Amino acid sequence: MAEGTGRGESLSIWFFVGVMTLSYGLVLLPYGAYAWFGGHEANTVLNNLHTTFWWGLLLLLFGAFYTFKYRPRPGDKERA
Amino acid sequence: MLSLFALFLMDKQLTRLSAVDVLILVLYFAMVLFIGFYVKGSTNTSEQFFLAGREMTAWIAGLSFVSANLGSLELMGWAGSAYQYGILATHWYWVGAIPAMLFLGIVMMPFYYISKTHSVPGYLQLRFGEGARGLSAASFGFMTILMSGVNMYSMALVMKVVLGWDINFSIWVGAATVAIYVMLGGLRSAIINEVLQFVLIWAGAAMIPILGLIEAGGWTNLKAQIATNVGSNDYTHLWSTLGHFKDNPMGINWVGIVFGLGAIISFGYWTTDFLVVQRVLSAHNLRAAKMAPIIGAAFKMAVPLIVILPGLLALGVLRDPHTGALIHLVGENQLDAAHPYSYNEVLPLMLIRYCGPGLLGLGITALVAGFMSGMAGNVSAFSTVWTYDIYGAYMNKRAPDRHYVLMGRWSTVVGMIISVGTAYLVAHAASIMDYVQALFSFFIAPLFGTVILGMLWKRATNWGGFLGLLAGTVSSIGMFLYTSTGTEVHKKEALARIALSPDAQPMAENMFRALWSWLICVAVTVIVSLMTRPKTDEELNGLVYGATAIPSDGAISFWQKPIVWAGAVFAVFLVLQVIFY
Repeated sequence: MAEGTGRGESLSIWFFVGVMTLSYGLVLLPYGAYAWFGGHEANTVLNNLHTTFWWGLLLLLFGAFYTFKYRPRPGDKERA
Repeated sequence: MLSLFALFLMDKQLTRLSAVDVLILVLYFAMVLFIGFYVKGSTNTSEQFFLAGREMTAWIAGLSFVSANLGSLELMGWAGSAYQYGILATHWYWVGAIPAMLFLGIVMMPFYYISKTHSVPGYLQLRFGEGARGLSAASFGFMTILMSGVNMYSMALVMKVVLGWDINFSIWVGAATVAIYVMLGGLRSAIINEVLQFVLIWAGAAMIPILGLIEAGGWTNLKAQIATNVGSNDYTHLWSTLGHFKDNPMGINWVGIVFGLGAIISFGYWTTDFLVVQRVLSAHNLRAAKMAPIIGAAFKMAVPLIVILPGLLALGVLRDPHTGALIHLVGENQLDAAHPYSYNEVLPLMLIRYCGPGLLGLGITALVAGFMSGMAGNVSAFSTVWTYDIYGAYMNKRAPDRHYVLMGRWSTVVGMIISVGTAYLVAHAASIMDYVQALFSFFIAPLFGTVILGMLWKRATNWGGFLGLLAGTVSSIGMFLYTSTGTEVHKKEALARIALSPDAQPMAENMFRALWSWLICVAVTVIVSLMTRPKTDEELNGLVYGATAIPSDGAISFWQKPIVWAGAVFAVFLVLQVIFY
């Protein structure tokens, strides 16, 4: 059964969490790389730490893990 | 609240979003709307629509339970309070939440759960009859929908101040989005979005404490910087300054914090406010229902990291990037050219300090998610109480189930429209916001008195419960009027009487008013109950300790027992009190 979304559904609530954070990782990581390696870091405090890049990478890994672990599988609906 | 209004009048804008920020925000809106449409197929019965089919796991119900309370108004307000009062603001997250949440899970949840009630007013009907249910449902429904409007207006105001967005645009886009996903998916949709919001808030706000502590050079250095900047050590001690009202920035003492906040307000909110209890009622079995508040409590203990710490960091490191001078945030009445920022702006200011494009969008999305989740929580709880405890109880008792689901969907839309009306009303009279929030507090403390006596004392009767609730509520309103009207001299005297000290500050009034109204509720309930005919044990089965055989929660091993985890969470809570004493 897909956790949280109902007995007849195949997408788990954790799958949505994974997709959302994965999407943000996919947006932030390339932008952070562009800012870091292209010399376009915003004028913020501690911008030398390149937080957009590292935070984007973390979200991407977290999101990818959850998306993969809770991906819908064939037969989920039938089992529900 | 008034300070938010003052910000609006200043007509300034803190920052603007880049394309990557807008993309992050659009992705969030697309996701929440998709979820609404996706789960619509699983919300065909009233149980599915109003209680998410009672099939949520402990983790989902627990995260939703804590997230329903984690609105943006709360985040920004308490970050501002941390700047204003220091670490004392943490009491609202620890002593003002954790014991009550654990008590709900271990002691009260079995009764809510095995009585199979759909709502807190529904439990009152089973225990005390129609009078207590009617009073509680009417006050809750009315206040909830007003709170939703306040939330909506606050979101629009913050978006106006931080990003320069048009107020009307923010109100209508927020309202339409929430109305669509709650109308389609009911509580299920609201819960899924609350879990998403919880993750988003951490993803969007965690950068502030991490980078802030790096900039400050760690917690010890931060404490030293705050002491230097403020000229006092009082801002970083949790308990040692609470001996007397005069010794701390909040003007309160330990009696108010422990008994007013910790024992009454906190227990009232976390154990009887249907907005949060509804999330736990969606659990799929008794053990999950008991574990959900315990899991929620564990996460709640960590929330000061993203709410209180940013306020403290601002006291230590918030400087003008050009001049290097310390920025002093002030109250709403003190804003001027030299002090352009108020306490409530501390979270956006810290966000802008550390987050460039991308991360800024994530932080703003977290704030928007918090606001929308707050609105959704209010409106989903409203539609449940309206449909079950007002419409279904007094207007149309014998309609088919699908009729009530339809009523739930329509009451969501109507509730949202009333909320929009409230938002515009507040826009024209900001003081309404303060009254709405005060009104909400009138009902919480007495309601806790009624529910706790109902659950623990077999002798409490229908008349005792109803009249106790009524007396507690009326006395709370009376005390509020007594301390908030008349001349300034009268207000100060009134506050000194209510809080039992001439040194008490307004924050102490809430605590002591709650304490008195709870005591009045309990006293009236006990006296009236002893004068009226008690219920039989058969009538009280499943509702009261001593008249109910509590079923096993199904825990087999030691590690599955909710009491073990409650003990672990409580131990961590105690350790934190000692560390930050």
